[in-house]
Amino acid sequence: MDHQKFARRNRLLLWVTVVLICVPVPLRAQNHAKDKEWPSYAADLAGTRYRPLDQINASNFNELEISWRFNTDNLGNRPEYKLEGTPLMVNGVLYTTAGSRRAAIALDAATGELLWVHGEHEGARGAAAPRQLSGRGLAYWSDGKDERILYVTPGFRLVCLDAKTGSRIPTFGDGGAVDLKLNDDQIIEPDLTTGEIGVQSAPVIGRDTIIIGAAFREGYTPKSMRNNKGYVRGFDVRTGRRLWIFHTIPKKGEFGYDTWLDGSAEYTGNTGVWTQITVDEQLGLVYLPVESPTGDFYGGHRRGNNLFGESLVCVDLRTGQRKWHFQLVHHPLWDMDISSAPILADITVDGKPIKAVAQPSKQGFLYLFDRVTGKPVWPIPEQPVTVGSVPGEWYSPTQPIPSKPPAYSRNGVSVDDLIDFTPDLRKKAEGITAKYLLGTVFTPPVVSQINGALGTLTLGTASGGTNWPGGSYDPETHIAYIYACNACLEPIGLVQPPKEVSDMRYVYGTAGQEVKAVHGPGENAGADAPMPPQKKAASEYVELNVDGLPLVKPPYGTITAINLDKGEIVWQIAHGETPDLVRKHPALHGLNIPRTGQESYGVGTLVTKTLVIAGESQVTTTADHPRGAMLRAYDKATGKEVGAVYMPGPESGSPMTYIVNGKQYIVIAISGGAYSGEYIAYALPSATE
Amino acid sequence: MNSRVAIPILVISAMAGAFNVFCWLGPRASAQEEQQTSESQSVWDGVYTEEQAKRGQGSYQKDCSICHGDRLNGTGEAPALSGGRFFANWNGLTLGDLFERIRKTMPQDKPERLTRREKADILAYILSFNKFPAGKNELRQQTEWLKLIKFEESRPERNRPSQP
Repeated sequence: MDHQKFARRNRLLLWVTVVLICVPVPLRAQNHAKDKEWPSYAADLAGTRYRPLDQINASNFNELEISWRFNTDNLGNRPEYKLEGTPLMVNGVLYTTAGSRRAAIALDAATGELLWVHGEHEGARGAAAPRQLSGRGLAYWSDGKDERILYVTPGFRLVCLDAKTGSRIPTFGDGGAVDLKLNDDQIIEPDLTTGEIGVQSAPVIGRDTIIIGAAFREGYTPKSMRNNKGYVRGFDVRTGRRLWIFHTIPKKGEFGYDTWLDGSAEYTGNTGVWTQITVDEQLGLVYLPVESPTGDFYGGHRRGNNLFGESLVCVDLRTGQRKWHFQLVHHPLWDMDISSAPILADITVDGKPIKAVAQPSKQGFLYLFDRVTGKPVWPIPEQPVTVGSVPGEWYSPTQPIPSKPPAYSRNGVSVDDLIDFTPDLRKKAEGITAKYLLGTVFTPPVVSQINGALGTLTLGTASGGTNWPGGSYDPETHIAYIYACNACLEPIGLVQPPKEVSDMRYVYGTAGQEVKAVHGPGENAGADAPMPPQKKAASEYVELNVDGLPLVKPPYGTITAINLDKGEIVWQIAHGETPDLVRKHPALHGLNIPRTGQESYGVGTLVTKTLVIAGESQVTTTADHPRGAMLRAYDKATGKEVGAVYMPGPESGSPMTYIVNGKQYIVIAISGGAYSGEYIAYALPSATE
Repeated sequence: MNSRVAIPILVISAMAGAFNVFCWLGPRASAQEEQQTSESQSVWDGVYTEEQAKRGQGSYQKDCSICHGDRLNGTGEAPALSGGRFFANWNGLTLGDLFERIRKTMPQDKPERLTRREKADILAYILSFNKFPAGKNELRQQTEWLKLIKFEESRPERNRPSQP
């Protein structure tokens, strides 16, 4: 073509480019369709709880309204007050578990209209389950044509449903269900109906393999040193055929068997994976966060390091073969179950890119590893720790303690941690803690003595720290956002139980108090068994509070932003309104106390393009709102609160978000106290209002 | 005195006596009713009896302490039934709300194991443990009555000055 035409064409091209650059961002940078959905419990298989959405942002968060609500009372034979699910959203449909039967439900994601319900009536087997009620969620799978929903019932059966109708898929397992108490490389004792094993986490699916862990009863006062084991299995998502199994307690001849002295691997159980599992589909690797072995606080019947208890284990997605592992706690004695999803993070450390995995924990450490090789990103040296002297016990002389990042919540208890609003309150607190052994993290439990220490006072153990909701991660900025309870005190004392309570030498208890089996909610408390006669307590019960106030000083609960490239804390804030009992306490009258946060461990975070969002799990009544709890949004760069909306009840599940019909929603489970389970969806007011 | 005079006198005396007795009992009965129907009733008004709380303590130790603790201080998963956290959950609501929660869902493994009466007794024990005053009347077991009793953490103000 001639020169003039060529120049004109170039000018045209130049102007088109300029116009395109100037076109408003929302039009140009459309969210990828996948970004608008929430197809997996933690948003994605990497465990990030992150979605790059910003229709809801700092400028409009306060305008959020309840768009729809779904009450779960009738999804079971009675209302539930422990609704902990994170729903999924795919193709305009919200899927989740709900109700005291752990029904699977599908709702219209825009209106909350019920599309279908599926509940399994398990009779005695369900009633005997160690982990009952609605659980934490389910899994979605599609091959582009078929869509399926898979979940695990309280009675420990894996059920596969048609996502469109909620009916069982007859070609999966046995008529649509796989009995998980079978084909588990062990005989579940004493029988299939009452045998203790179950799970409440949402199963995860990677490359057509569905992976199921295992959970048991609370381990404070086990009936026996013997229990069923919590192996992990991978099943074919289409047929339910078992593809592989990983023995979290090694069998004879397997690696790690000799870390259980005196053949204790034969009879010790638990050591399951009760929390969320993470998958790297590209690498074909699965990350298993393993819990404690039998007997949370006494290991005299399982001497040795006890692999793979309280270990992060990486296994092959196809075969279940162990690739690497790292034991966070040797010979566990503090109930430091690995409680939440390992988070996959592609980071850059000292200029080097690392495919990492970041593991939050109850003990307030964030452990970072190269997720291919298992090599710690920063050194996690073995440090000498206090060795105890409980009869028959075995102790690890060292424990691994990360050098970086620094602990993000309290572990160990010292006098400096005690309440200090006033000198008088501090003095009273010291009077209380004088009856306990204080120490740094990994100070071992002691035999409880009336005229000595009642126990070891701990933080960052049983409740944590970070518990099952886990943390969130922003893959754009390489920052992890992690909620932690910073005041969840646990006194750990050991007592000798009567034979009818346990065959273990020691279980959790307090000297002079009758040893009672500690139960969690929903457990079969042996309804028809006669209770042992009451014995008068020989010692006065020590209340772990000072005139009703928390024994330790604030912050009681925190959200911490950690830069994973640098291993540094960027910001940390107290999350949660100051509890009523602190705000109204006569001893604090006139003092200006900054927001303290709340002492709860069941809070989950959601990260979006600009916000970190988390709800409160305690109800308060303030000048700003009638009795209720707030859903708060923080600027993710600075931690500054940018908005808060009212929830009629306390949150009990983690928030999730999605876009449907061009509108962004945040959905959160609310329940507890006076409030029975409800899923509530928030959205911005419609333009026409 | 002949019977024609005596009998009417006896009858009148009996009626007067009965009237006196009625006068003595009557106002008390209506005060009771008033207490129970008063909309301003709260947990500070002596809404349970010591006897009832004692019964409730026995039931509590047998069926509730296993999860909620011997001293109502809670365990890992079951919350405390005393103290600030408990008050924050229920302050401003009514005993009827709390009773419904217990009636429908507690004990968690088998709510039908205890009768309504036993659950009202346990609620009385919880009130007693939390140092709310006892009174002359037992806590009733019907939710509609219990909904009239406000759960208030702090003793409400009495003798408020009238509005100008």
